[in-house]
Amino acid sequence: MIHLENVSKVYPNGTEALKNISLSIQKGEFVFIVGSSGAGKSTFLKLLIHEETATFGKIQVNGHDLMKIKRRKVPYLRRTMGIVFQDFRLIDKMNVYDNVAFAMRVIGTPEKQIKKRVREVLRLVGLHGKEKRRPNELSGGEQQRVSLARALVNRPETIIADEPTGNIDPERSHEIMKMLADINNSGTTVIIVTHEHDLVEEFGGRIIRIDDGEIAEDKYISTKYHELPVSINTSNLVLDLGDDTTQQAPSADTLGKERNQ
Amino acid sequence: MKLSSTGYLIKEGFKNVWNNRMMSLASVAVLISCLIITGAASLISLNVSSLIAAVGDDNELTVYLKYELSDTDSVKIGPQLKKIDNIEQCRYYSKEEAIKQYKDTLGNVYESMQGDGNPFGNAYKIRLTDLSKYKSTVKQIKQIDGVDSVSDRSEIAGKLTKLNYFVTLVGFWVVLVLGIVTLFIISNTIKITMYSRRFEISIMKSVGATNAFVRVPFVIEAMLIGLLAGLTASGILIALYNPVKDAASGIVNLIANSTIPVEQLWLPILVSMSVIGMIIGILGGLISITKYLRKEGGEILGW
Ligand SMILES: Nc1ncnc2c1ncn2[C@@H]1O[C@H](COP(=O)(O)OP(=O)(O)O)[C@@H](O)[C@H]1O
Ligand SMILES: [Mg+2]
Repeated sequence: MIHLENVSKVYPNGTEALKNISLSIQKGEFVFIVGSSGAGKSTFLKLLIHEETATFGKIQVNGHDLMKIKRRKVPYLRRTMGIVFQDFRLIDKMNVYDNVAFAMRVIGTPEKQIKKRVREVLRLVGLHGKEKRRPNELSGGEQQRVSLARALVNRPETIIADEPTGNIDPERSHEIMKMLADINNSGTTVIIVTHEHDLVEEFGGRIIRIDDGEIAEDKYISTKYHELPVSINTSNLVLDLGDDTTQQAPSADTLGKERNQ
Repeated sequence: MKLSSTGYLIKEGFKNVWNNRMMSLASVAVLISCLIITGAASLISLNVSSLIAAVGDDNELTVYLKYELSDTDSVKIGPQLKKIDNIEQCRYYSKEEAIKQYKDTLGNVYESMQGDGNPFGNAYKIRLTDLSKYKSTVKQIKQIDGVDSVSDRSEIAGKLTKLNYFVTLVGFWVVLVLGIVTLFIISNTIKITMYSRRFEISIMKSVGATNAFVRVPFVIEAMLIGLLAGLTASGILIALYNPVKDAASGIVNLIANSTIPVEQLWLPILVSMSVIGMIIGILGGLISITKYLRKEGGEILGW
């Protein structure tokens, strides 16, 4: 659960990146954050993982109060989230397997568990058999799938993606978005910052438009991926989404199963 | 840190040393010189102390009492001398005993120098427990009423004590300066490794690695540098110990039988050099590691 109340972020140079933002994102939501360049979208994501701290207001993320969080607790906040970046951020000198395993190793997971889980997520993102490849031997779309696998591997509650399709061609972008939708269908909250209007229209779900640091629009688009929840009141900023209103995929897909293991 | 990560973290530490081998080598080299000087100074000091202990047996001092002091008053000074901590032994040495030493040389004149004609005053012969405290002990003795002067200690012990003091003093400053240089170089070495791995560190932070975890490979790297230097330095010291000792005993013939044999020293040298090396390594490493990891936020590079 993510909850922001009257949050403002002023950077040290005086830029007011977010102005008095209030919103809640329930567990299991599929959210697009849209808005022009410089609107404050990345800043919003940075606040969620405590990469930046809010100047004013209240922020609660996955059970952590970020205005009071202790330094040594921040890693545990971050373990509840998987992050996907526009530029993939893979380690060049590691192969696909190690890039994904890395995220588990550095939080102290035993090697045996790592082996099993990495194989699982690589299959999930369709990279089975490419474990030994280096990032530079993969296409942009494949690299982003490695990065997605890495974000997923520690079973986060929330996936946040900052323009995940910004560096890949449209066809592959669709593939990535489809995976994110599938991940969401397994119960993981997904928050995606994007510029790509077509994808937003196609995948739907909750759309939050940030304009010059303020929430300009907060609406739902119902699509085959994300049907409009029945109980929703779109005029309300703080949306009431019970667990049963999250969209369960009609077909029990692979992602839905992996979550329950 | 969980036990399951130990292997991974140690491997990363070794990788760091190897990937940054030029700087690692430079750190090891500087640390070796620092350790050798520390070790050499300590070994010289140890041996000189052992020599002082050996020659200390000849080391009798004379406390001369004022000439006009009567025999009864002279005897009363004995207990006061015994009260001084550093005085191990104290023996009354009367003026009669003193003049007797010169009986043969004086011949006829000796008789006239008995009683009131005795040119000597009464005295005490004393031995000190710790010769290095000579000065302060003499000061205490001179404060006693009736004491005139104290003889110089035996010359060789005095010189040795001075040498020991000199070695300790010079050693201290050289080690201090080299120690600071070493800390600086090691901390820079670690800084360079951390900088070269900043991207990985940034990913580690983004997936929720704790600072404690991120730190470990770099601490291990610093410790390995220290250990490597410690082992090399002790090897050199142990190898050079006997040749140097032999050369020195050629100059001062006293040395040979009162120095400490290498059999008694190699293990302490090895252990202490390795431990000191590792401690310096870790301290140097922690300087830059702590600095690097202290910043809060802005950990995810270029986002
Ligand atoms: N570290 C920073 N220091 C100062 N200003 C910043 C910093 N990061 C972002 N900004 C400014 O804050 C505003 C919002 O930035 P950002 O959140 O990155 O926008 P978006 O992701 O929507 O393009 C922009 O005006 C940007 O220049
Ligand atoms: Mg941005």
